[in-house]
Amino acid sequence: MGGGTAPGVIGELRDILARATGREELREVDERQPLFGPGVGLDSLTGTLLLREVHRRFGVDVAGEDLNLDSLASLATLAAFIGERSA
Amino acid sequence: MVKCVIWDLDNTLLDGVYLESTSRPPGADPDMVSAAAQLRDRGILHAIASRNPPEAAQYAARVTGLEFAAAECGWGRKSDAIRQIIADLDIAPDAIAFVDDDLYERAEVSFAVPEALVLSPEDMSDAVGWPEFSPGVVTAEARRRGEMYAERRRRLAEARAFAGSRDEFLRYSETEVTIAPATAADVPRLHELSVRTHQFNSSGEAIAEPALRALVGSPSHRVTVVRLRDKFGDDGLVGGCVVEAGPDGAWTVTLLMMSCRAMGRGVMEALLAWLARSARRGGAAALAVPCRVSPRNMPLQLALAASGFRAAEGGSPDEPAAVFSRPVTGPPPGLPGWVSAPEA
Repeated sequence: MGGGTAPGVIGELRDILARATGREELREVDERQPLFGPGVGLDSLTGTLLLREVHRRFGVDVAGEDLNLDSLASLATLAAFIGERSA
Repeated sequence: MVKCVIWDLDNTLLDGVYLESTSRPPGADPDMVSAAAQLRDRGILHAIASRNPPEAAQYAARVTGLEFAAAECGWGRKSDAIRQIIADLDIAPDAIAFVDDDLYERAEVSFAVPEALVLSPEDMSDAVGWPEFSPGVVTAEARRRGEMYAERRRRLAEARAFAGSRDEFLRYSETEVTIAPATAADVPRLHELSVRTHQFNSSGEAIAEPALRALVGSPSHRVTVVRLRDKFGDDGLVGGCVVEAGPDGAWTVTLLMMSCRAMGRGVMEALLAWLARSARRGGAAALAVPCRVSPRNMPLQLALAASGFRAAEGGSPDEPAAVFSRPVTGPPPGLPGWVSAPEA
């Protein structure tokens, strides 16, 4: 399920991120921009909403498979993580 | 006035997950059933919206002894199930309450059906006394809790319309996070948090009041509490932690918990940053947070990852545990301006 090319996945992730944070401008966010820390400022609430929507759309349980959540470094690392698991 | 309460089943009306039970499905949650029975006696209807097969609704009716006016069981969106129930029962959207333990489901429903009263099970145990559910006399305490919920809805509505980052919104809302040593007077609320918090709880175990009182008085432990308020309202004591300073120079946070009311408001991040600063000041080399990891406390896992903690796995397959830790010898993490705390 999910799948598609990486650029397609990143587009969908931008969409999910914008809705989880309620910030439309994140639809334009650079795929290498760090998700934690200033800028995007992903936190426990918005991160939970993001990961639950990722699970729903791509069938990948990121939090369960990646204890340290290194895959949340950026949208690019998250797309790569999803790509490896939903292939 | 609420005319119908729509219930989630897993970990809400039921004391566990229906489909995860191999031999015997979970029983009814006594707190939720008692709240539901009181509401039924006031003429309020009940309905079910659950991600389960249809037989789960019949099962819930049997173990709770409640009657359900409608049941939507399936794997679609909760907001669609709720709209279906609203249509079937011919009830206005502002006359329903929706109770779900899952943060994601609550967010989805409050976004799609903004008129509905959306509650966690923790809210629901209080809500029985709120004016929204009470045709008759309402106590001052119950009215206050009902007001707190109204404050939260105003905050949520403004946050949604706010153009800017979360930190900008926290400043705009005049957020004040106060970190302080716990006193004996905080023990009942700390106990309540240990029972009721799941999404932000490192141990997942309730702690009795005498044990907490002993920790507050113990010279080898530090018990800390966190309070939260902003221009929308005062949430009071929303979180706490217990720290043990070990002989090996490592500080261990043996308990870390926070109410889901404080989520998304920078409180856990502030507490973790303050703990790292305090550990550094206390001469520790590292700060460790042993944590029972489950899908329910994913918010805690996120907060730890966002605050620079790394996990080492431990425990058994039945009880997955991990120790999250971070060094504290480098430059200390900053504390935002809205946090007041003892020097660290």
